[in-house]
Amino acid sequence: MALDAVTFAYPGAGTPALLDVSLAIEAGTVTGVTGAVGAGTSTLLLVAGGFAPRLTGGALSGRRDIATNRISIVFATPWTQLTGLATTVRAEVAFGPASLGWPRGSVLAACEAALRDLGVEHLADRDPGTLSGGELQRVVVASVLAMEPELLVLDDPAAELDPAGADALYALLPELARRGTAVLVATPDSERLARTAERVLVMEGGRVARDGPPAAVLDDTDVARIAWAAGCPAPYPLDVAALVARVVR
Amino acid sequence: MIGYVPGASALHRAHPYTPLAIATGLFLMAFAVSAPGAVWVVVAAAALFAASAGVLGTVLRPAAILALPTWVLLTILHGLLGGAPHVMLGPVAFSVAGGERALVFGGRLAAILLAFLTALATVSPARLVEAMTARGVPFGRVYLLVSTLTVVPRLRARVRRIVDAQQCRGLRLGGSPLARLRALGPLVVPLVLSALAEVDEQALALDVRGGTARGRRTALDPPAERRADRAVRWVVVTAVVAAYAWKFLGAGR
Repeated sequence: MALDAVTFAYPGAGTPALLDVSLAIEAGTVTGVTGAVGAGTSTLLLVAGGFAPRLTGGALSGRRDIATNRISIVFATPWTQLTGLATTVRAEVAFGPASLGWPRGSVLAACEAALRDLGVEHLADRDPGTLSGGELQRVVVASVLAMEPELLVLDDPAAELDPAGADALYALLPELARRGTAVLVATPDSERLARTAERVLVMEGGRVARDGPPAAVLDDTDVARIAWAAGCPAPYPLDVAALVARVVR
Repeated sequence: MIGYVPGASALHRAHPYTPLAIATGLFLMAFAVSAPGAVWVVVAAAALFAASAGVLGTVLRPAAILALPTWVLLTILHGLLGGAPHVMLGPVAFSVAGGERALVFGGRLAAILLAFLTALATVSPARLVEAMTARGVPFGRVYLLVSTLTVVPRLRARVRRIVDAQQCRGLRLGGSPLARLRALGPLVVPLVLSALAEVDEQALALDVRGGTARGRRTALDPPAERRADRAVRWVVVTAVVAAYAWKFLGAGR
């Protein structure tokens, strides 16, 4: 997926939500996106995934190349991401592959693998309407993984998860990248981005303000703040392991 | 409650097209007959249809709530404005012919409501999706039908959430009719706005999940269509054709 000088404005909006954005996302990588509310992170995901302006309306200028049509997106709120047509978690997860017309055996195999990846096999026969927000969000992620996307876009996917669930989800992203998926994840959670993404885009006012490895562009994790307070020169270590390595060196 | 009610009756286990065919048959039969007695036989058949699925108690209340205002209006209009002969009900001259017409129209309404509420209560939306998918019906049409069938339970759940939220903020639902009317605003506005927002998000969710993909969907667990299903549907078709033949040949008048 590549954007070249892309500007995007929502219908009726006075100012563009994205301004002159250029970037490329490679297969097999995890790219993080972060920024303040209104900085354009969610819009960047919609544009990068090809959902805007196709489904949102609005005007896009510049050049966008998306080399795959196997693209999935996950939002922060799970309740509105259900199909509303399934009475079991298994049927909900199988919905996507079945829609693509895969053979029945492939649908069921993909469904079981996705349930396993998200650790929700035990919920397979439950009614999605009876699950907690955290369980439901893991089911939603399993539902898009079952479609084996080549580009996976996640907008603050751990907002409804407890810390352990969020850790498990973020730990899965590099594994998906190893399988060849291009992962683009937006979150304000710098701690987890620092541990997961190999590249981070920091958005400000609809533009990509910084773009590089987490250690080069992030400076707001707890460890970085401690390092800054201790007088450590930039770039700051973002996690304990990096801090220890810096101290040892 | 207007929506699917899980159960183990023969109608629940039948192919989803079978309860829908019976409901459609009862609807058509209600218009094939014109004598009040015959119309109320169709009503009785609709009630039997509901009872056989064990949902009579469930569908009676919404059917009555929906039908009652129309019944009252029909009785007043036809009873007061209908032609001779009349009977005196106190100071009011009530038209016998008008009363019969009200019975016919009211009976048809009752039969239709009972039949379709029973179909709603016995047809699982998920099984209907599978059945239609197995028949190769395009997903757009499947979604249109099934989302229509499930809209009432979903709206009820949303209304309950909004009522809870607004009551937490101090909204009072009781009191005089005027106070109750005033309380509708804080309920209806978020109901409409949230429904519109959800339509957008669900459209995106369905698009992501292949809802707009071209080609035939895979039916994972299509409901079995047994000989009994086909037999029941043929009986319905035969009965409806016979009733209309009777009607148009003049013998039913």
